[in-house]
Amino acid sequence: MYTESLELGLRFQILLRQSLLVLAMTLFLQSCTTSVVVQGTIPTPLVSKIPARMGVYYSDEFKHFKYEEVIRDSGGWSIDLGQQNLSFFQNLAKSVFQGVEEVHEPPLTPEEMQGLDGVLVPSIEKYGFLTPSISGLKFYSASIEYRVSMYDSVGTKIGDWNIVGYGKSEGGMFSSDDAVNEATVLAIRDGGARIAIELIDQPAVQAWLQSLDGSIESPVGTPAAVEAVETPEGLDGVPDA
Amino acid sequence: MRNLFVALGLLALMSGCVSSRIEQSRDASTGIETDEAIVLLGRASYNEKETEESFTQCIADALGQGDNPIRMIKQKQFRDELYPWFEPRTAPTSADELGRLFAQPGFRDRIDSANVRYLAWIDGDTVTIDSGGSMSCTISTFGGGCFGMSYWEEDASYDAAIWDLKTMTSTGQISADATGTSYLAGLVIPIPILARPGNAACQGLAKQLREFIIGGT
Repeated sequence: MYTESLELGLRFQILLRQSLLVLAMTLFLQSCTTSVVVQGTIPTPLVSKIPARMGVYYSDEFKHFKYEEVIRDSGGWSIDLGQQNLSFFQNLAKSVFQGVEEVHEPPLTPEEMQGLDGVLVPSIEKYGFLTPSISGLKFYSASIEYRVSMYDSVGTKIGDWNIVGYGKSEGGMFSSDDAVNEATVLAIRDGGARIAIELIDQPAVQAWLQSLDGSIESPVGTPAAVEAVETPEGLDGVPDA
Repeated sequence: MRNLFVALGLLALMSGCVSSRIEQSRDASTGIETDEAIVLLGRASYNEKETEESFTQCIADALGQGDNPIRMIKQKQFRDELYPWFEPRTAPTSADELGRLFAQPGFRDRIDSANVRYLAWIDGDTVTIDSGGSMSCTISTFGGGCFGMSYWEEDASYDAAIWDLKTMTSTGQISADATGTSYLAGLVIPIPILARPGNAACQGLAKQLREFIIGGT
């Protein structure tokens, strides 16, 4: 009986010690995680407006996009891009299109499409960052790959475009979390610049705009429009950072 | 002993030798009114080499001061006002592209309201091209010290391409190249003798740029 209670006490002690160890490790890991809520100012683009009224759908994933990674030498990173991305895209859409209205997830009913020429769906495909300890360079860098999908007023896909934005920040000027924040804001800014300038020049968008004007007879059947639907086009041919 | 410290102090204040060369080529005549401004933009890319913001700022500071100060527009302000046209991957690479930018709605108004006459693209960097020597420092209960000598040679190479926003043409280029070797001598305490080729290139480029802009045919 005495041996059993001694063994039980010993087991309890081991269990308690293990629990404390796990708790300590959890606290240690938490304390080593760098949390960044991306914040910054990105100006309103100064571009010609695309003459169309668009519905824009922002998915929950886009609105609350958060990137998490554990890096061996610098601990865990949690980077919250959601709010910055959302407010930037809201501003970008207003600058690029003549009219903008937020809508729910496509497809939309004909009634819901009343007064809209199409729907735009931005999403984040990839995000990544590099610290000087990983890259061996003097600066922090970030890259963000957006996918922009466009649908016409009857729900047919006009095209998909992948756009990669890059940003970098000198490591010496900021603390590591500030430098990653700065690099990420610049990556969003760079990606946004490409969208603002180059979206209107895409052949599929041009064909769709001509169909809105009624200047071509059968816009959906044009080779450019079909090609854009079948083959996702990339505005950016540069590989990831 | 006091003399030794004075000598060491003087050594520390010594600057390493820097040799620099400035070259200029002019494509068109220039001139600037007192209310007109210049903006300096550093060329950026996404590789390791990039014009340091501190270098562009050094030239802007030099041009904005002195006997004939030139009104300068801050780089960030200009890029923000004209976003997205002067971003690293969207900026025009030649003055021929200015016509396309001025056709954008609101572009000319913003240039006119800031009264920006010239845009100078600054491109280049400062790199270490050679280094050597050795120095070791020790510390013990009886004291410590550094002994030996190390050196490093830096090359600062920058170009300025000047565009006239009024005529939408390129008016010329200026290049500055400066090389200097810095030393770190360990004579009990480490004594740096620093050459600053980046600073020499900045001052040389700023002086030439002022002369180029203020008047020349």
